[in-house]
Amino acid sequence: MAALLALSRAIDAVTTAVGKSVSWLLLAAVLISAGNAVLRKALDMSSNAWLEVQWYLFGTVFMMAAAYALLKNEHVRIDILSSMWTKRTRDIIDLVLHIIFLVPFAGLMAYLAWPWFWLSFNSGEISSNAGGLTIWPAKLVVLLGFLLLLLQAFSEIIKRYAVITGRLEDPRHDTAGEMPPAATEV
Amino acid sequence: MIDFIAHNLPLVMFSSVMLMLLLGYPVAFTLAAGGLLYFVIGVELSAISPEIRLFWPLLQSHPERIYGIMYNDTLLAIPFFTFMGIILERSRMAEDLLDTIGQLFGPVRGGLAYAVILVGALLGATTGVVAASVMAMGLISLPIMMRYGYQRPLVAGTIAASGTLAQIVPPSLVLIVMADQLGRSVGDMYVGALYPALMIVGAYCLYIFAISMVKPQWAPALPMEARTLGNGVTSLGVMLLVSIALYYLGMHVLFTTIGSPEWQLVTAMAFAVGTAYAVALINSRIEKKIISRLAEQVIIVLVPPLALIFLVLGTIFLGIATPTEGGAMGATGALLLALGKGRLNFGIVKNALEATTKLSAFVMMILIGARVFGLTFYGINGNVWIEELLLALPGGDYGFLIVVTIIVFILGCFLDFFEIAFIMVPLLAPVAEAHGIDLVWFGIILSINLQTSFLTPPFGFSLFFLRSIAPASPWLDKVTKKTMPAMKTTEIYKGVFPYIVIQFVMILVVIFFPGLVMHYKAETPAANPADFQIEIPGFGGQNNSGPNFGLPPIGGQEGSGGAGGGNAPNLGLPPLGLGGGQQAPNSAAPVTPPTLGLPPLDLGGQQPEPQPAKPAAPQIGLPPLQGLPGQPPAQTEQPAADQQPAQPDLSQPPPINP
Repeated sequence: MAALLALSRAIDAVTTAVGKSVSWLLLAAVLISAGNAVLRKALDMSSNAWLEVQWYLFGTVFMMAAAYALLKNEHVRIDILSSMWTKRTRDIIDLVLHIIFLVPFAGLMAYLAWPWFWLSFNSGEISSNAGGLTIWPAKLVVLLGFLLLLLQAFSEIIKRYAVITGRLEDPRHDTAGEMPPAATEV
Repeated sequence: MIDFIAHNLPLVMFSSVMLMLLLGYPVAFTLAAGGLLYFVIGVELSAISPEIRLFWPLLQSHPERIYGIMYNDTLLAIPFFTFMGIILERSRMAEDLLDTIGQLFGPVRGGLAYAVILVGALLGATTGVVAASVMAMGLISLPIMMRYGYQRPLVAGTIAASGTLAQIVPPSLVLIVMADQLGRSVGDMYVGALYPALMIVGAYCLYIFAISMVKPQWAPALPMEARTLGNGVTSLGVMLLVSIALYYLGMHVLFTTIGSPEWQLVTAMAFAVGTAYAVALINSRIEKKIISRLAEQVIIVLVPPLALIFLVLGTIFLGIATPTEGGAMGATGALLLALGKGRLNFGIVKNALEATTKLSAFVMMILIGARVFGLTFYGINGNVWIEELLLALPGGDYGFLIVVTIIVFILGCFLDFFEIAFIMVPLLAPVAEAHGIDLVWFGIILSINLQTSFLTPPFGFSLFFLRSIAPASPWLDKVTKKTMPAMKTTEIYKGVFPYIVIQFVMILVVIFFPGLVMHYKAETPAANPADFQIEIPGFGGQNNSGPNFGLPPIGGQEGSGGAGGGNAPNLGLPPLGLGGGQQAPNSAAPVTPPTLGLPPLDLGGQQPEPQPAKPAAPQIGLPPLQGLPGQPPAQTEQPAADQQPAQPDLSQPPPINP
C-alpha cells in the first residue's frame, strides 16, 4: 500500500505541475488573440497560423488540465442527494465510479486517439488553411490529455481506497454541499 | 417486445443517465460513461432489432469529435471572458464599484438595493458566472444592507436575483454556449438578449421602488453618517452633460474625417469619457476642487470598468470584433486596468489563470462527455424520439414553447446550466426549428428560463451560493458593535419569491412579444466583412452549417464521409484530411450567418418558406444508417445537400481503407 501511495503522490505531482504550467498558455492565448484582433483591424494583417495558435493553446489548456481539475475535485457534481449521504458512502461511490466510469472512458479515449494521432503524425497532415499549422500536435494533446486523466484516475482510486480503509487522511477538501468550483477561492 | 424496448431505449437511456448524475459523481464522466454503456447495449440490440443501428466503428469518430470541440472559435470566448471577470473581481474593482454606486444611490430609499441590482448587471456583464457574482455581491453588500436595517428576505432575494443577471446580460457565458449549441452567431445572441436583459433589470428596480413606496421601513436610505463621500450630485450631473456635449462635438465636428461610422462612434465616445476621466484624475491631485468628491470618486471608479464593458460589448455589437476577439481584448484590458490601479501582481494573475484553467477544463470536459452521450443517443434515434414526442404536443408553436419552458425549468432546478445546454439544447433545437421558431429567440427564452430556475427553491444554484456566504449563526457587526441574527434559509426562500414572479412574467413577455429579440435581424453586423475574414480559419463555422446541433463534427465529417463513400466500413479509419474537410464548409458558411437558412420571422414564428426536410435532418450525423435495410440513403443525403451546400464536393475525405 505504501508503494501505491507513493505512486499516487508522484502522479499527483506530475498532474499538478502540468496543470499549473498549462494555465500560463491561457495568458498567451489571451494576448495572442488580442494582438491578432488589433493587427487585423489596425494594419489589416491576418495570419492563419496565429489564429490557429489560439485554439491550439486553449485546447492544450483544457485537455491537459482535465486531470488537474480531477485532482482538485473541481469537476462539477450534482450533489443534491449525495450531500445528504455520509462521507463514507460518498467515498465508496467515488471509488466504484472511478473504476467503472472514469477508467473505461479515459482509457477508451486514449486507445482511440492513438491511431488517429499516429496517422496524422506519419502523414504530416497540415491544416487546410493557407499558412496553417501542422495538425498532429493538436491531436497529440488529446491523446496526452486522456492518458494523464487515466493516470490521475489511478491515483484517485488509490487515494480513495486508502481513505476508506483508514490508511490516509483525506487529502481532498470535501466540498459536497458547499461552494461550486467557479466560486471557490483559489 | 425487443422492438418495443429498442424503440423506447432513448427514454430509458435519458432517464437512467439522469439518475446516474444524481449519484454525485462528476457530471462530465457520468455522461461519458452513460454514453459508452448504452453504446454497448445499442450495438447488442442492433443485432436483433431493426430499430437501432449502432456499430463499433462509429466509436472511432470520438477523437475527431473532440478535435471539433477544440477548434471551435466560439468556445474560445469562455476562458477569455472568465479570465476578464476574475481579474476584475480579484483586483477588487467589483468591490469598488458596489461601494461607490451604493454611495451614489445611498441617500435614496432602497438605494443599496438599486446598487446591488445595477452592479449585478454590470458584474454579470464582466464575469458572466452566477456563482462569482452572487458571492462577490453577497460578501460585500449583505452585511451592509443588514446593518442599515433592510428587511432580511428583501436583502437575500435581491442579492440572489441580481447574481443571476450574469446569465442573461451580455457577454454572459450562457449566451455564448447557447449560441454555440444552437448554431447561431454570438453577436446575434447578444443583440437579441439586450432588451430582455434591460427589461429584467428595470423590472427588478421597479420592484424595489414599489417596496420603498409601500414599505419604506424595509428599504431605508443610508443614514447621514454612512455617506462617506458626502453630497455633490450636481457636479456629477454637470460632468455627465459635459461628456455628452463632448461626444456630440467629437461625433459631428472633430472626428468626421474617420472613414467608418463605427470607428467614428467609438472614437467620439472614447474622447468624451476620456476627458471626464482626466478631469476627475486631475481633480483628485490638486488642492482646489473643480468637482465634488462624490463626482470625482464616481467617475474614477466607474469609468474604467464601464469603458471596458462598452469597449468589449460595443465592438461586438457594431461588428468590429468577434466575441472571441472581444473577450481577448476585454481580458487584456482588465489586466491593463488592474495594472494601472497598481493592483496587479504575480499572485493575482497566477490565481486567476489557474481558476480560469480549472473552469475551462470542467466546462469543456462536460461538453466532451455530452458529445460521447450524444453519439449514442443520436445513434439509438433519441432525437427522433424526442421530436415525435414534442411535435405531437397540442397547441402548436406556443404549446411547444410552454412545454419546453416547463421542462427546462424543472431540469434547471437540479442540473447546472452547462449540462442543460450541452444535452437538452441540441435535442430541442431541431424541433424548435421544425416549428419555424427563430433559434436566437428560442435561446433567449431558454436562458431567461434557466436564470429563473437558478432562483427557485429548494435547489436554485444562486440560493446555494448565497446560503454558503450568508451568516448561518448570529454575528457581530464590527461597525455598530451590535449582534445581528443569522440569515434563515426560509428568509432566503421568501425573499426570492417576488423575483421569481418577475422572471415568469418576463418569460411570458418575451414569448408573446418576439419583437424584443427579433430586432437583432435588422441590426445584425454579421454581413460585415470583418466576420467573414475571421471565420476563414473556420472554427465554429461549422456550427452554422445546419441543423445538426450539438453534433457538428459528426454532421460535418461523417455526413460528408458518408455522402462520399456511402458505406460504413470507411469509418474503420478516421478519415484523413478531415482537418481540411471540416473547414471546407466554412468558406461558404461565413457568408450564410446573416440568413442562416431561417425565414425572417415576425410574430410567433410563422414560417413563410418551407423548412428543409425536418425529420430527416438530424440524421445527417449518422452514416451507418445508410446502406442498411429500410433506410434509403437518399433520406440522409438529402438534408446534407440542402443545408450544407458546400460540403459534398469540398469536404469529402478520400476514402482510406485500412
